Amino acid sequence: MKTLEEKWTAWLDDQLSGHELSEFEASLPDKAAAQAEKAEAKKLGELLKRELSAHSLKNEEFFSHQLRERIVQEGGQRRERAHRSPTSGWWTIPRLLWAGTASLAVFLICTVFVLHQERPAEESQYLTQILNARVDPVVSPNGTVSIFEVKQDRVTVLWTEGLQTLPADYAAK
Amino acid sequence: MQTEATLAQSDVSEVDLVKRCQAGETEAFDELVTRYRTRVFGMIYNMVHNEQDAWDLAQESFLKAWKSIGRFRGQSSFYTWIYRIVMNVTIDWLRKKQVKGGGAEFDDAIQLREIDPASKTVPKTEALPHQAMERNEIRARIEKAIGQLSPEHRAVILMKEIDEMQYHEIAEALGCSIGTVMSRLFYARKKLQSLLRDVYENA
Repeated sequence: MKTLEEKWTAWLDDQLSGHELSEFEASLPDKAAAQAEKAEAKKLGELLKRELSAHSLKNEEFFSHQLRERIVQEGGQRRERAHRSPTSGWWTIPRLLWAGTASLAVFLICTVFVLHQERPAEESQYLTQILNARVDPVVSPNGTVSIFEVKQDRVTVLWTEGLQTLPADYAAK
Repeated sequence: MQTEATLAQSDVSEVDLVKRCQAGETEAFDELVTRYRTRVFGMIYNMVHNEQDAWDLAQESFLKAWKSIGRFRGQSSFYTWIYRIVMNVTIDWLRKKQVKGGGAEFDDAIQLREIDPASKTVPKTEALPHQAMERNEIRARIEKAIGQLSPEHRAVILMKEIDEMQYHEIAEALGCSIGTVMSRLFYARKKLQSLLRDVYENA
């Protein structure tokens, strides 16, 4: 469906024919005024054609020469860029991805190794048992003495169990 | 306008020239430039009204055409294809100029300073001084009126009236629909009629 502007333009340029033309002309409220405007549009077109189409290019050969120079220059720059491309183009996207993945894997392996070294699983986080001995079985048949050290607080704990009496030579000095 | 026979002949050789260009032959491109440089320059000049700018934009357009000739598939004529490049380059330039100049380019504030009387084409026959002056005045009026149109409206009216291009060719060159071309023509004509009525009525 053409708009009014499209139909009007087509009519001015004699692009309407048959049923479309008769329908459009029948819809015109003032056909004489429309014909006058059509004639005006033709005059405008002729004026533009007459006054503007004669503008010529001066120094045509120099124009072509300058363009040839620019094309040669452009070709040279392109070849230079292509020549330099092996170094500058090394970091392509796939290579960047591979390098990133490999770096991440190395980092994870190192992290796991270091953590494993620093925190042995069998060692208590708080107490270190440094002595676990049985006392004289005659005096205390079920007695044991243990010494623990608290790492952070630098405290040593003496843990006794099953003692009947504390022998005199066990007293702390 | 060309007859169908000459059109067919020139089309065949044009296709050949384009193929040679696509193979990297600069001489073939030189031949295409020679064929179209005047029309391209004339069209750009009528859009920008300055010889130096028109020269630079024509150079830029042909250089872009050379760089992208590999993408030309021959679905339209070479001329329509290069017109599209010309129009993109010129309309872009006009838009940037409008932004830089605070939008004064497309209104009544356009000055005649941009129009160099010496740049006018010499008439085919020697004109008397008063006739030449009168003609220069008419051209200045026309250029001022066209300067008040938007780049898209300018392009449409110039392609239709000066180059006598068909609606579909204009649409292809501007990358818009035929309806848009017709609508732009309608408004461009209305505007120019109101600005130039006394000129064409007294011509």
